[in-house]
Amino acid sequence: MRRALLLLIIVAGTASAQLPGLRRRDPTPQPPAAAPTLLGIDALRAEFAAQSGSDKVYFGGDSAVLTAPARATLAAQAQWLRRHPEIVVRIEGHADPSDTRDHALAVASRRAAEVRDYLMLLGVPAAQLSTVSWGKERIAVIGVSQDALALNRRAVTVLVR
Amino acid sequence: MIARPALLFSMGLAMFAVPAPAQEAAAVIAIPPLTTPDEKATGAGSPAAVAWQASQLIASDLRTTAELVPIGPDQKDYYSYPEVTAPTFSRWRAKGAKFVLTGFVRSRPDGRLTVGCYVYDTVKGRELGRTGFVVAPEDWRRAAHKCSGIAYTAATGAPGIFDTRITYVAESGPPSARVKRIAIMDGDGNNLTFVTPGDTIVLTPRLSPKAENLAFVSYVGGQANIRIVNLTSNEQRPLVAGGGSMSFAPRFAPDGRRIVFSMQAGANTDIYVADSSGGPAQRLTAAPGIDTDPSFSPDGARIAFESDRSGNQQIYTMASDGTGQRRISFGGGWYAAPVWSPDGEWIAFTRRVPGAGSRIGVMKPDGSGEKLLTDGSFDEGPSWAASGHELIFQRAGPDGRPALYRVTLAGGDARKVVTPQDASDPDWSGVVD
Repeated sequence: MRRALLLLIIVAGTASAQLPGLRRRDPTPQPPAAAPTLLGIDALRAEFAAQSGSDKVYFGGDSAVLTAPARATLAAQAQWLRRHPEIVVRIEGHADPSDTRDHALAVASRRAAEVRDYLMLLGVPAAQLSTVSWGKERIAVIGVSQDALALNRRAVTVLVR
Repeated sequence: MIARPALLFSMGLAMFAVPAPAQEAAAVIAIPPLTTPDEKATGAGSPAAVAWQASQLIASDLRTTAELVPIGPDQKDYYSYPEVTAPTFSRWRAKGAKFVLTGFVRSRPDGRLTVGCYVYDTVKGRELGRTGFVVAPEDWRRAAHKCSGIAYTAATGAPGIFDTRITYVAESGPPSARVKRIAIMDGDGNNLTFVTPGDTIVLTPRLSPKAENLAFVSYVGGQANIRIVNLTSNEQRPLVAGGGSMSFAPRFAPDGRRIVFSMQAGANTDIYVADSSGGPAQRLTAAPGIDTDPSFSPDGARIAFESDRSGNQQIYTMASDGTGQRRISFGGGWYAAPVWSPDGEWIAFTRRVPGAGSRIGVMKPDGSGEKLLTDGSFDEGPSWAASGHELIFQRAGPDGRPALYRVTLAGGDARKVVTPQDASDPDWSGVVD
């Protein structure tokens, strides 16, 4: 159990920390044949984040409105996604921990939907996009300072395959 | 946000007095040991052993209330079996006890036990209530909780909170990858069991009024959806067939047959009602915005809910068919998660003040008489005790780790409810049959 937890912390520390369900994956080493695939998607994720500026956009308190910097990031994300039509992404909406449980789910869902709609507006086919709301269940930054709360109000574009 | 001492002073001491034993309203109840006509049998599970354990549990139950202060049980106060229905009132009056609870445990030919309890007013010298219960020896706790219940009801007129169940989400692991499991325990914290194995994120477990069924939100299948589990058979199924849209915030109607909940369609989230045993969902709200956290009034005629249609979260009420929607909260900040009290008198809520965290409060169903009951930084998700005199809620520390607390409607300090792990999203059932 302790060893599994340690592995989990290591995994959570990598660039793919946003991938939901990762902790549920069997922590035993992958057979060699599967390893290149994992490296492949990790490499693609790194490239996507680097060329888009970020795989995340941030929101104001209780808001799902896309800010100017968010639109710039999404424009770059859309460009990359149009060049990679074989890639499927999941847009994951999040709320900050000061929101109440159920409102957080709905607001985070709205944030993910806003990002999806904007990417579609910029020419990314709907078939490449899906959304999920994590409410306040996946806290990125612990703390109740305004900065910490702001860093949790986000939508992350996660490459699935 | 509000300077508490000033509030205390301005509102008068009675309303915010420290809970028992200092509270003025608390009455003393004497708990002489339950007796048994079967004195020869001894050992675990024998009537004599159960009688003594039950007496202690009754005293311990009543000690958790703000309204009663138990004295006893003390071995020297032991009554004989015939004296159970004829206790000496003057002796208890002399000790300051307004009430006395007597009772017996008797073995039956089928191996089970009969537990009987009587509550008397020592001043008027008359019986106020009685209960009898047949249980297997290992289920003696439930019988004792029933005895505590009649004592509480005799003293306060409200249902007892002892033979009830509490469900919550047990949490462990780092914040970025919390392991969450649905836990369920007796109202006094005993008999803790887990309903889900922790392989999927789960939220907001809600018990049917008599704790036969449980509704909760699960991420099984990749997105938040409501599931219903029968707590006897452990059979589980989704509330809404198909599950294309996110569904959440379930709560049972007082009859236990319907469930109100939220479902999201595009950017809009509305309130729906569905039969808890299946069937199509009926939409109750259609306003643009997020309508969520619906809660039935105890007569089933009205529903309180939260909506941000005005620009931020506020509390509304409507008829149970969705007509007559009207806003009832108008104070500063945001109002969320309304829950109607079992006596219909109050609506509890979470009030968020941006930059100042969130607290638990209550208001009348017409929006008047608002008062805040807690002073934590991040309190949320109130749920009523069956008595309607007390609430359980979730309080997060600065590190974000949540725990359960109880607070009485009369105010005073919130008391922590001990759980083996971090705990969130509590829900307290009505009295179990």
